[in-house]
Amino acid sequence: MLTPVLAPMAGAAISLSAVPDPVFSQAMVGPGAAIDPAREPGHALAPISGRIVKLHPHAYVIEAPDGRGVLVHLGIDTVQLKGAGFEPLVAEGDPVRAGQPVVSWNPADVEAGGRSPICPVVALDTPASAVLRVAAGPVHAGDELFQWD
Amino acid sequence: MAADARAIIAGLGGVDNIIEIEPCITRLRTEVRDAARVNQHALKAAGAHGVMAAGNIVQIVVGPEADTIASDIEDIIG
Repeated sequence: MLTPVLAPMAGAAISLSAVPDPVFSQAMVGPGAAIDPAREPGHALAPISGRIVKLHPHAYVIEAPDGRGVLVHLGIDTVQLKGAGFEPLVAEGDPVRAGQPVVSWNPADVEAGGRSPICPVVALDTPASAVLRVAAGPVHAGDELFQWD
Repeated sequence: MAADARAIIAGLGGVDNIIEIEPCITRLRTEVRDAARVNQHALKAAGAHGVMAAGNIVQIVVGPEADTIASDIEDIIG
């Protein structure tokens, strides 16, 4: 079954291999894509419908009822911010719909702090061949970013 | 399969070589006393998807179970 995975925010869809962090660029936790986000305050959305199984201020994992998990990481090395500038809008364990806001943040602030605001969106623990029709170039929040077969 | 906490401690050179261990969503960031005692092959055999070492900072990529594994390790090393 094809699961559409949505862009969590507006920006430019780029290849995961262009992310400045080897964990993501080498797809160590799974294939996917990334968003170079618009530098404006906004909400990071749920890329799929499911349950919030991990929620950090700067990253979250949503698991669909069929067990597929998608990770959204807001910026690179943002764990070092210890939550400053990130406001979770849901709680761990909550059900969410694809497109629902999960975290409020501002990519411009992350960049001003000297970190990359690029957001990897990863299909966890799946072969690269399962990720299809990866978008490239400008996307709106909630547009399809890739399909997970 | 989740990475094995005890095997990760051994791969990091044992309890007394670990200064700090902190989970991020996909990885364990650890600081060790002696980087020469870290065994990357042992860490991968323990279930790590990858290991990145820079000086005394070793990052062990374990996937989204990083939080659980870090608390398992903290339980063991006290």
